[in-house]
Parts: sequence; C-alpha cells; structure tokens
Amino acid sequence: MNFSFSEDQVLLKSSVRAALDEQCKPAHVRAMMEDATGYSEALWGEMAKLGWLGLPFAEEQGGAGLGLVELCLVLEEMGRAAYPGPYFASVVLGGLGLQLGGSAAQKEKWLAAIASGQARASAALLEDALDWDPASTTATATKAGDGWRLSGVKRFVPWAHVADVVLVPARGPEGLSLFLVDPRAAGVTLTPMVGIDLANRWSEMRLGEVAVPADARVGPAGGAGPVLEALLRRAAVCASAEMLGAARRCLDMSVGYVKVREQFGQLIGSFQAIRHRCAEMLMEVENSHSAVYYAAWALTAGAEDGGLAASVCKSYVSESARKVCGDSIQVHGGIGFTWEYDLHLYFKRAKALEPLYGDAAHHRELIVRGVTA
Amino acid sequence: MDLNYTAEDVAFRKQVRTWLEHNMPRQIHNLDERKAWHRRLYEAGYLGMGWPKEYGGQGARPMEQAIVADEMARAGAPAPTNSLGLGIVGPTIVVHGTDAQKRRYLRKILTAEEMWCQLYSEPNAGSDLAALRTRAEDKGDHFLVNGQKIWTSGGATADWGLLLARTDPAVSKHKGISCFLIDMRQPGMDVRPLKQITGSSEFCEVFMTNARVEKENQIGRLGEGWGIAQTTLGYERGGRALARITTYASQYNHLVAAARRLKRNGRPILDDAVARQKLGRIWADLEVERYGALRTLTMLERGEHPGAGGSLTKLSYSEFEKRFMELAEEILGPYGQLTEGVPPEYRLEVDTAVGDHGTWAYAFLWSRAGTIYAGSSEIQKNVIGERILGLPKETRADRVGGAR
Repeated sequence: MNFSFSEDQVLLKSSVRAALDEQCKPAHVRAMMEDATGYSEALWGEMAKLGWLGLPFAEEQGGAGLGLVELCLVLEEMGRAAYPGPYFASVVLGGLGLQLGGSAAQKEKWLAAIASGQARASAALLEDALDWDPASTTATATKAGDGWRLSGVKRFVPWAHVADVVLVPARGPEGLSLFLVDPRAAGVTLTPMVGIDLANRWSEMRLGEVAVPADARVGPAGGAGPVLEALLRRAAVCASAEMLGAARRCLDMSVGYVKVREQFGQLIGSFQAIRHRCAEMLMEVENSHSAVYYAAWALTAGAEDGGLAASVCKSYVSESARKVCGDSIQVHGGIGFTWEYDLHLYFKRAKALEPLYGDAAHHRELIVRGVTA
Repeated sequence: MDLNYTAEDVAFRKQVRTWLEHNMPRQIHNLDERKAWHRRLYEAGYLGMGWPKEYGGQGARPMEQAIVADEMARAGAPAPTNSLGLGIVGPTIVVHGTDAQKRRYLRKILTAEEMWCQLYSEPNAGSDLAALRTRAEDKGDHFLVNGQKIWTSGGATADWGLLLARTDPAVSKHKGISCFLIDMRQPGMDVRPLKQITGSSEFCEVFMTNARVEKENQIGRLGEGWGIAQTTLGYERGGRALARITTYASQYNHLVAAARRLKRNGRPILDDAVARQKLGRIWADLEVERYGALRTLTMLERGEHPGAGGSLTKLSYSEFEKRFMELAEEILGPYGQLTEGVPPEYRLEVDTAVGDHGTWAYAFLWSRAGTIYAGSSEIQKNVIGERILGLPKETRADRVGGAR
C-alpha cells in the first residue's frame, strides 16, 4: 500500500510545472484567447520534445509507456496553468480512444504522429441531447462500397478546428461503431461554439454523407460501446485532474491574497469568516486529489473498482472544484470579478469541464447502479 | 503509487479474520464481559500494537493496527474497553512519561486492569481549553487539586485520570498548565454521569475537592501541560482510519436494503431519482474518505506524522458522518428515530461507546457529537488555517497578560 508518488512522478510533475510556469504564463493564456487557432505551435513542439504528447502510448508507438497517474499529473498542471491547446483532445480523447479500440495499423499510423506532435486528434462524443450514454448516438453510418457514409450532428467537439482526425461514433446496420473522420473531408462543416472558457475551443461538427474508407472503423463493427465506455471513464478522470489543478491554483491565489489584503485595519486572513472558508477549500482540494489519483491508479492497475472510482472521482471533483474556484472569487471580493485579474481563467476552466464526460448527477446514477447491482 | 495491499498485509488480514471467527463473542452484556474480551484481544497481540515491546506492546506497523481495527469493524466485533487509556493516555505516557511511570501504568492499560479517563475540558474551557481553572497547588510532597471537569468520557468506570491543571496562575494562560496522573478512587473525587441527547451517559462531570496527586505522577515538567496536551490531541494515529470507513460502508448497505423495502408514491425509494442522487453522493463521499485513509496510512507507514493534516481528516469525516446520518433519517423516516420496537429490517447493530446496543436513532444523534469532540470543526478550521495555510493569527485578547 503506497498512496504517494514515486521519485519519477514527482520529477515529472515538477518539470511540467516549471515548463508551464515559464511558457504558459497568464499573459500567454490571454494571448491565445484572442488567437485565431487558439494555441501555440511552438509550445506544442516543445511538449512533443518533452515527451508529454506520447506519455500514455507504448514505446513502439513513440510513447513513454506511462499510465493514467502520470497523465493526470501533467493534466493537473495544465489545469493549474489554464493551458490553451488541444492536449486533452489529442492525447486523451483521440490518443486513448485509439489505444483502447484501434487496430495495430491504426495505432501505428496515428499514435506515433500524435506523440511526435505532427497530428492532432479529438473525439466527437456529444450530440444535441447531451446524453453521455453511447447507446443514445443518433448519427448514422451507411455502407458505401468498401467504406461508409456518415451523417449527423456532433456538438462540443474539442479542438476539431485544428484536428487531423476525429473519432466519431455512429450507428450502422451492425449497431454502434466508431470511425476515424478527417474534419477537413468533404461533407464536414465545423462551426465554432464559443464558451466562457476562451482558452478552450469547441466546434459543432455537421456530417453530411461524409465518405470514410474501409480502414476507418475503429474496433469491431457494432462494438463501439465498451470502447467508448472505457474512454469516457478515462476522460472523466483526466478532466477531474485538470479541474483539480484549476482549484489548487485558485486556492493558492486566495491564500496569497488574504495574507496581504487589509480591511478594518487587519489582514483579512485573520478573520475566521475568511480563514474557515480557506480551510474548507483546502479540504475539498485534498479530497479531490485523493479521488483523482485513486481513480487514475485503479483504472491503470485494472482494479475491480476502477469504473466506480472514476465515477466517484468525477462526481466529487466536479462539484468541489466549482466550489473552490467560486469561493476564491468570493474571498477576493471585487478584484476577483474583474477581467484583468487572472482568477477567472481557472474558474472558467473548471466550469467548462464540469459537465463534460458526465456531470456529477450522471456519475451518481452510475455509482448507485454499481453499488446496488 | 501502488494501492494494492502487500502479500504480507493480506496474510495478516487473513490471520486476524480467522482469529476473530474463532474468538469473537456474540454479545456482550456487561463491563466484566467486555473486559474479558479486551483481555483476549490483548493476549492475541491485537491491542496497543504500536507500543514498545518492553511495555507490553507489539511494535507493530500502523498498517497492521489499521487492519486489526478494520477486520473488527467488518466482523461487527465488540469494541475493547479503556479507549481513552489505549488512545490517549498510553501514548502520552510512552512519549512524555518517566521509565517508572511507563513500568507502573502501561501494561495495566493494555490489560484493562486499570481503566482511564481524560480530565481536560471544563465548563468554561471547551474549545478554549487553555482557559481551564482547575488548580493544582504544590504542597511540597504532593499536589492539591481543586476544580471541575466536564465531558469526561468513561469517568464513571475510570480508576485513573490524565489531568490538566493550572499550577501557575501568574503567567500567560498557555504557560501555567501542567499534566498529571490522578487517582480517581480517592475521596475528593466526585463523579456524576452526564446524560446526553442520546439518553445514554458516555460522559461524566468530575468534581475535585482537595484531591491529591503524588509528586511522582507529574508528567513532563511544570508548565509544559499545554504542549503535552497538543501532542496528545494529535495522537489520532490512523489506527481507526480504515475501520471507520468499513463501519460506514456496512451502515450504507443496511440503508440501501431499507431503501428497497420502503416506498414513496408507490415506488421503492431506491427507484426514486432524487433518492438515488443522494445515495450516489454519499457513496462517493464515503469512498473519498476511504482514499484519504489510505493516504494517511501511507504517511504513517513511512514514519511521517500527519500533524495538522489530522485536522483535515477529522473535519472531513466528522462532517461527512452528519451528512450521511441525515440522509439515513430522510430515507428511514420515523423508523430512523426508533429506540425501541425496531422491526428487524430497520435495525442497525452498532456498538455504542458505552457498549449498549445501538440503533439508527443512536447513530444519528451521536453524529452530532463528532463535529464537537476532540476539537470542534471550527477549531479544526482554525488549525488548518494557521498551521497548514499559514494564515495570520486573529487578534486575541487572551494572548497577552496573566491567566487570571
């Protein structure tokens, strides 16, 4: 029993922190918020060089062969920095999706390209009704020659506008299957969906009879359900790691602020109304840390309670990150509500991830199904 | 990071489970039976496991202690007695006592031959413990003690008490307190049970009138009592870390079973979307407490002391317990309030702190105590704010001047 990070893991975390402190300062985040594509190719190249883009992939695919604990360490730091870019989309959604369901040839083609930074991937997991149950998919795949034609509307597809490949679930005669779609292919229309977190990008992805070739299907025909379920669990934990990082940043900023801000002739951190709120924030952050890394370990180790742990994690962290980031605005007072103060970058990052890959209510229902089965 | 138990721990767990299957009494009717059970646990090597071997302990690892407590919770085993002796007094003597004190007292705590209580809180010194007024006057060959204590767990059955008393009223309040071992069976000690909202009397009031403490029963130096009490209050060594969660999980399963039987609007409560959300949230909270316990145990196994981190743990689980019991009451309705005539389907077999047979009603009421005893949630938040986050101390009138 050892619930602590190894020396290598600590080193990874501190090197990611150092790199992002240097290259992903709030000024960089703000610049990217206004940028047309929304991320820096230079930093992307740097991340490829540092090995972050291939972290969870096998070594023969140009990866580092590490697990979800390491991936979450990186993502926690990205949440802490409100990193603007397609890391989550490419490595978690596209990369882990291919790793879970892809053929040897598909992995060879795409994972190495994702790891080297040459290709960016994503996944289109939501439709109009926002149901995370893969069985609810309404997009269709009809047989056309050796390949298929895909039709339907996908929403909130992360970083689709810069992706080279998007994993798209669609329903065919054999049931639900997963396909690789080039978002620049004929019949695909991308429309930006601009949310409150401007350092994150979503698109609506309309598929009108989009032709995909025979080798575009990921996993068995009609067998996408288990792959998507496994991917959603991992995405839920990875998103929680990012929310945890955002929450910790907000806590750190709050603690720093209440140690220097004076009112009524005293530092406001000396008032119990403030101090108790900060103590509760720390408790939420530490509990979230436990939830994220337990689930990351359990999924990597194939523990019996891995699926349940992922739902525990996402349901807990979704709400505690919102509370911590929101409370940090409260303890800052007016300054925390201004655009020029950086707090809202992290508040919005946590908020953007809260409903994704299942919100708290979705995961609580999964938990009850699991524990009363 | 590896959250699997080691082969050694798995084997030890199996050994404890087997031992409990063969040795656990089905029911305990009185204190003598509980002492006999306590003694059996001790002889099996399952009590005072972390204490040094020369004083009757096992020098066992924190994980082994946690596993024993956890297996006892899993089996629904009755608790041992002398919990203050085992949890607070013994560790205090191990750290701060003289060799003579260790030889004289430790083993008899483990065997429950001598029962202990803790004489800390006073009517006007609760959260502000350092405001205590009980006096211990130096009479040359002994100390003379006068004052009143309250919230004394196990006071009615105690042979000895760990006492905090003021020995120097002239210095500032934290500096004039000393720590003693006091004989509870002497004239001058008047112990009166205090009936709580549960209807039971886990606590007592203790009135001390010209009571005597021998010089050799002083712990540490004069004026060091506050520091000793601080370490004492921090002795939550994680021994109950897993057991607590296992008890919650077993209660949760009882609650789910009740939610299958009970109906609202013609449907089982378990099929109600709102109830499912609440049950899902509590299970997630419970699991997060379990993960936290594993983190604490990891630290202890590495020989690190959680320090003020213990305040985070205590704040988190005691507040969780209240939320959990409130949900239980919501689902159980009036069944959750029954203390007698409980139909078997809605019973909760819990072992109360005084060894009575417990109910959901008792567990619900008792959950209100958890956020008050051993430092209220408000005090825990002060500790977290000051000692972990390094927030500025509040301006306090009592940090200047003499105690009186």
